[in-house]
Amino acid sequence: MLPTLESRIAEPDLKRVYDAVVVGSGAAGGMAAHVLTSQGLDVLLLEAGKKLDIESELKSMEWPYDHPRRGQMPYTSHALTRNEYNIRQPPYAKGMPWKTVYSYVQGWSGTDYSKNIVVDEKDHPYTGTSYAWVRARCLGGKTNIWGRLALRLSDYDFKAKSHDGYGEDWPISYADIAPYYDKVDLYLGISGHPEGLEHLPDGRFQRPVRLTVAEVKLRQSMARSGRVLTPYRAGVTTDGVKHNKYRSRCFGRGACNRRAGGCDIHAAFDSPTGLIYPALDTGRLTLRTGSIAREVTVDPAAGKARGVSFVDAQTGEVLEARAKAVVLAASTLESARLLLLSKSRQHPNGIGNSSGHVGHNFCEHLMGPGVGGIVKDLVGKARTLDDGRPGSFYVPRFRNLKDKRSDYIRGFGFEGGAGTKMFPARVQAPGFGKEYKKTVRDYAGASIGMSAFGEVLPRYENAVGLDPEVKDKWGIPVLRFSFKFGDNEKKMAADMADTAKEMFEEAGIEVVDSNREVLTEGWSIHELGTARMGSDPKASVLNQYQQSHDVKNLFVVDGSSHVSASCQNPTWTIMALCWRSCEHLADELRKGNL
Amino acid sequence: MTTLSRRDLLRLAAAGAAAPLVPRGVAEASAPAVPLAAGRFFTAAEMALVDELSELIIPADEHSGGARAAGVAAYVDGRLAEYDPAIPELRESQEQWRAGLLAVDALSRQATAKAFLEASVDERNALLSRLAVAETDPKTPEQSFFVELKDWTAHGYYTSKIGIHDEIEYKGNTLQGEFAGIDVATLPPVKPVGD
Repeated sequence: MLPTLESRIAEPDLKRVYDAVVVGSGAAGGMAAHVLTSQGLDVLLLEAGKKLDIESELKSMEWPYDHPRRGQMPYTSHALTRNEYNIRQPPYAKGMPWKTVYSYVQGWSGTDYSKNIVVDEKDHPYTGTSYAWVRARCLGGKTNIWGRLALRLSDYDFKAKSHDGYGEDWPISYADIAPYYDKVDLYLGISGHPEGLEHLPDGRFQRPVRLTVAEVKLRQSMARSGRVLTPYRAGVTTDGVKHNKYRSRCFGRGACNRRAGGCDIHAAFDSPTGLIYPALDTGRLTLRTGSIAREVTVDPAAGKARGVSFVDAQTGEVLEARAKAVVLAASTLESARLLLLSKSRQHPNGIGNSSGHVGHNFCEHLMGPGVGGIVKDLVGKARTLDDGRPGSFYVPRFRNLKDKRSDYIRGFGFEGGAGTKMFPARVQAPGFGKEYKKTVRDYAGASIGMSAFGEVLPRYENAVGLDPEVKDKWGIPVLRFSFKFGDNEKKMAADMADTAKEMFEEAGIEVVDSNREVLTEGWSIHELGTARMGSDPKASVLNQYQQSHDVKNLFVVDGSSHVSASCQNPTWTIMALCWRSCEHLADELRKGNL
Repeated sequence: MTTLSRRDLLRLAAAGAAAPLVPRGVAEASAPAVPLAAGRFFTAAEMALVDELSELIIPADEHSGGARAAGVAAYVDGRLAEYDPAIPELRESQEQWRAGLLAVDALSRQATAKAFLEASVDERNALLSRLAVAETDPKTPEQSFFVELKDWTAHGYYTSKIGIHDEIEYKGNTLQGEFAGIDVATLPPVKPVGD
């Protein structure tokens, strides 16, 4: 029997100077804890939220009828609606009568299973322009419920400026990061099918998910125009990872379609079981939850980072953790907030911000356009098992690779799926009675849909800053957004919708929904780029090792370092980059360079 | 949830106010063998009406049981009973259901001179068809009530044992050694072009 995790969590010694203090326990923070402890460093990990008893939260196989509210969170809680994001301004929860207000993700199915993972908007306000900001404050953060699409970037992304002249190239190329993608693949497990695409490099894949009849039909049709539909590349171990006793291989169970998701056997990667518990087992990691970072403290003599000042969530006490190196992994926007909050004599605009670029060049993925359809020859057919897959399919980018369009630059991909889900797809069918019931039944296995994720260009003017007045529950100034999609995004969105519809029609799929509307900024939960890397300290915040140009012992290892968003989901790149940077950090620490 | 203005709710309530909801007479053949008791939110009469309306929307057929067998009325009742009236949207939803049921009965009396549960099956279906005409863009409070009624009925039904297992015959939420479906390795490879 394993010792309980609690028995291995020691209260940190705050008089001690750790080798590194890491802020945040999601994909980046977990990876930093794993790599730094593997390198022999003594690490303190601070997490703002609680450690949840995650298996009893997620209950991945619970049937809706075995739950008192059919899986719904208590009715006194409210999830912000699409319309509320349109007609209200942040802070969205202000003045709302609900006991708890959540972001839109709690408007999906199975919300009782994720209600303790995502934040209450009332306690965590922000201001400025419309933005659907989704946050999870608990051990593991958003990795507890992430969508699991695990993709690599390529030199079409890292060298995008060289390709089309816009923005900045990354200070690394694919060859620099490829070995680290491999390490992430092998350590955590990834499911996929190799396609040999230059712009979406293959990984070290485990067993892929299989496709439904409708998905094969679409794949074969798209192949005629040289476009690819590939089984969902999931950050899920389908064959198991023998070196990790906390995780099971995927057994193709049912709740993968329940979103916000979560996997209670941890076949899907989550930071606690994938990274943090094994790091605790090294004896070199100390974990402190309920620790809300408010500032990177500075050594007044040297101007270097001294540690992290944080609020104890239980007592409200302000404490300081000291370390030789400070590693921020609090998420793209929270890390930028921390840098801006860390004002001192040496760093009057916030630590690491001599360039003035912290909070700027904020980018992400555009969502909304997509298509839903019916495969006629599957209507009324005998039921098959189509569910229990960690994901269904992905259509990689095909735009602006060889040719260049005149109307917009960069590209988009599609995520989609087909087949029978636990809750049938066409309950919105018109009418009532026997005919309605039969329609829902006959169409349940014949539905297919996909929606686009497109690159939002980094622009200096898209930014977050500190609000001069509004503070959160702990008295810490909140972020003020100034972020809008631009012309390139609008033109891309029109093409996404047209192309999706065309591809369905070419495959002989009857289109029943064609979505053209762009969702509120933030919807993709892929915010990136507020502390970008670069070789020029005047135009970037971090070097190629996610190390502050200004402060040598300060690293920012999350999505804030990304120079551009690409159109691929960022989690796998966040972890590969973090691995590379933390090896560098350990090396530099040993050499006495920090 | 369809949001009604307060004025809509008042109109909806007024439509039903002339005829309080007291079903009399013999129930039709499709009614439950054992009359429903009062729920936690609904009166016994309201429960009977919700039960019948839900069954009209998703009836038993040769394939599987309907909303009645799936206990949709109890699901709706349980949900409304847990709604905290201190929260305006939840109170309005409770009011909409009460007023909506009154309105259904009042419309039935207007059309057939009988309470809804006393009307014939054809008369009930005819009345529901009138409410359903504008379901994608409801104009009147009664039409909005139909949208809500159908939405909750579908949710209650398709998350029930009967809905998931008997009706949809959903095969997932089970352990699989290998994923079901078609192995992509058996398909011809794609020669990517890229635009």
